Amino acid sequence: MKRSFKDDFNMMAMLLIPIAVAINLVGFQLANVLRLPIFLDTIGTILVGVIAGPWVALLAGLITNLINAIFNPVYLPYALTSIAIGVGTGYLSKSGFFKTVPKSIISGVIITFIAVIVSAPITVLVFGGATGNTSSLITATFLASGQELWSAVFSSTFITEIADKVVSVLIVFFVVRKMSDRYLSKMNYGHLYMKRTNKK
Amino acid sequence: MTTMIDLKNVSYRYPVSDDFALKNVSFSIEKGKFTAIIGNNGSGKTTLCNTIRGFVPHFYKGDLEGDVIVDQTNMKDYQLGQLGEKVGYVFQNPFIQVSGVKDNVFEEVAYGLENLGVPVEEIKVRVEEVLKLVKIEHLREKNPFELSGGQRQRVALASIIVMDPEILVIDEPTSQLDPIGTEHIFDIIRLMKERGKTIILVEHKMDLIAEYADNLLVMHEGQLVMQGPVREVFANPAFEQYQIQYPHVTDIALQLQKSGIPLSFLPIRDEELADALNMTGGVTHD
Amino acid sequence: MKKNALLQLHPMTKFYFSLFILAIVLVVPGHLFAFAMFPVLVLVAIFAGVAKEFLNIVLKALLSVLIIVFIMQMFFYPGEHVLWSWKVFSIKQEGLNYGLILTSRILAIGSAFILFFRMTEVRDFVKSLEDKGLPPMGAYVVLSTLQIIPEMKRQANTIMEAQKTRGVETEGSLFIRAKAFIPTLTPLILSSIAGTEERAITLESRAFSAPVKKTSLHKLTKSSADRVLPIMYVIIFVALLVWRVFL
Repeated sequence: MKRSFKDDFNMMAMLLIPIAVAINLVGFQLANVLRLPIFLDTIGTILVGVIAGPWVALLAGLITNLINAIFNPVYLPYALTSIAIGVGTGYLSKSGFFKTVPKSIISGVIITFIAVIVSAPITVLVFGGATGNTSSLITATFLASGQELWSAVFSSTFITEIADKVVSVLIVFFVVRKMSDRYLSKMNYGHLYMKRTNKK
Repeated sequence: MTTMIDLKNVSYRYPVSDDFALKNVSFSIEKGKFTAIIGNNGSGKTTLCNTIRGFVPHFYKGDLEGDVIVDQTNMKDYQLGQLGEKVGYVFQNPFIQVSGVKDNVFEEVAYGLENLGVPVEEIKVRVEEVLKLVKIEHLREKNPFELSGGQRQRVALASIIVMDPEILVIDEPTSQLDPIGTEHIFDIIRLMKERGKTIILVEHKMDLIAEYADNLLVMHEGQLVMQGPVREVFANPAFEQYQIQYPHVTDIALQLQKSGIPLSFLPIRDEELADALNMTGGVTHD
Repeated sequence: MKKNALLQLHPMTKFYFSLFILAIVLVVPGHLFAFAMFPVLVLVAIFAGVAKEFLNIVLKALLSVLIIVFIMQMFFYPGEHVLWSWKVFSIKQEGLNYGLILTSRILAIGSAFILFFRMTEVRDFVKSLEDKGLPPMGAYVVLSTLQIIPEMKRQANTIMEAQKTRGVETEGSLFIRAKAFIPTLTPLILSSIAGTEERAITLESRAFSAPVKKTSLHKLTKSSADRVLPIMYVIIFVALLVWRVFL
């Protein structure tokens, strides 16, 4: 069944967005409280990308950054990254890349690349190469050892993102597995993850 | 009398299910009548409510057969958004019936009217009136998220009543409430009955149904197995086979009848028991 | 928010002001102008009565970024004029300059937006966007998000406490702490998502998709200041642009 761009914006899908944003924020907070070395702040975006498609996830990512920006404008330029992650996840889901664990891990790596390709330029062009989080330290180390700015930022961003994105993707994979068929049937792309095949 | 709701041979199947949740259901409800839908869990009561309100099929999709006619118009010809004004819908879970975008009760109740495009001055008048009616004026400044379950349910009811729909579909509104909360809700329902609203109520509390309802629809495994005035349905011996609870007094009366004490009629309200027994000239103990 | 003349301005007027600051700071070369914007913003904050929260957030959000950015440029920006060096680290003039430019801009632009959100209720901002054409569903999504976030944080705490009583450890080695994450997050996600169906029904019951134009209890008003100020912003911006291009 071909879905048009407009089809994705039904009420159920839109109602997922506030939840996705909240999950992004709660995930981040929880990771902080438990002092985990990864951010886990995109679980919500990835989740809705998987079950509701690229455009809903785009909005979820965008709104997450806008709301974070209310308290910290540094998040504003990185809205592009969240958007890219959302759209990327949506398309990966449509192409069946979240149906098994191995494929999901590959998705995680692809999403990492997406995140890096969008984030790194923002870090370089807007912030001159560092914003003060853990990747800045790594960037500094690379720079001190003689690397050029762009490759230093790309490398450090990749290092901090890969674990985060692959773990986030796997968490989403297992959560989607636990969702009931009844619920999935109402989601834009839920039919990809239902246990029973749907009779029309 | 005008027929408000008319179902003819209605069957319905949810998208993920193989079984039909409603099987060949037919009934009519007249304007101003209070109809209670009863039946055990899984009998299709909620699906029936959804059908009257138009969520089936407009929201849930799936296969709907037969005709559903509400206020002279076939459900097929309605847009989901148009039904909010005609058919009010209140359901079980008080915690989910909060709009989620208003931070005080006054605005929460006004929300439906804002969506219907009612002029602001009129909204204020109507909300004030309903807050008084439902006795929640003291909650007007409170954040809906800070309310108890019983309070939220009253706010939910108020938010629907303020839209002044002709028909009220109320699905187990008291199952998550304590006895006082239940009483408050039924007070409001009674007021609505007095105003001539057409009410459809799903409930398990048979005593309250016996007190307020005019007609009963008995659901069993997706089929409408009995219908008619409340008294007739309870008095019908066929009712027993569906394993649905009777009103307490009816239960007692039936037990007495089985032990040999004759009844002149089957009581359904507590105050009727004495009459039902007295008129037989039986021995009364002081 | 207490009411005063500045706070009562239409949300869009205040938003345009932040955009205005963004634009002029990028147009005018060098760092002095951008740095000068900061005291101007502080002044505005004082007049609006939000100086305390404003400075608080600027400190929390921007200070560390500014320091890191400056240090990075100072040491690692490519250049010839070395001012000071020790082993691998050397401070260059070009780095210092670029660092000043970058930090001044981040400070000015960042503060401008921080100021906006201290001076405007998000609810009013969303309403002004709706007036400009944001679809009702969009407005709903944003407002609902704002209400759901604190709710979910509360629920997350409750679930974590409950898991602790079941023996899930939250202190200890990385592995132990990591194991606490999923049992806390998963029930939260599943129950929140399960609620969306009933939430959709609730919205429908409140006539959310009624095919009529919605009314609103709260109206935003535009004063004469709201009409004049945006025009002034544009004039000043264009003037600076012209100055930059031709002089």
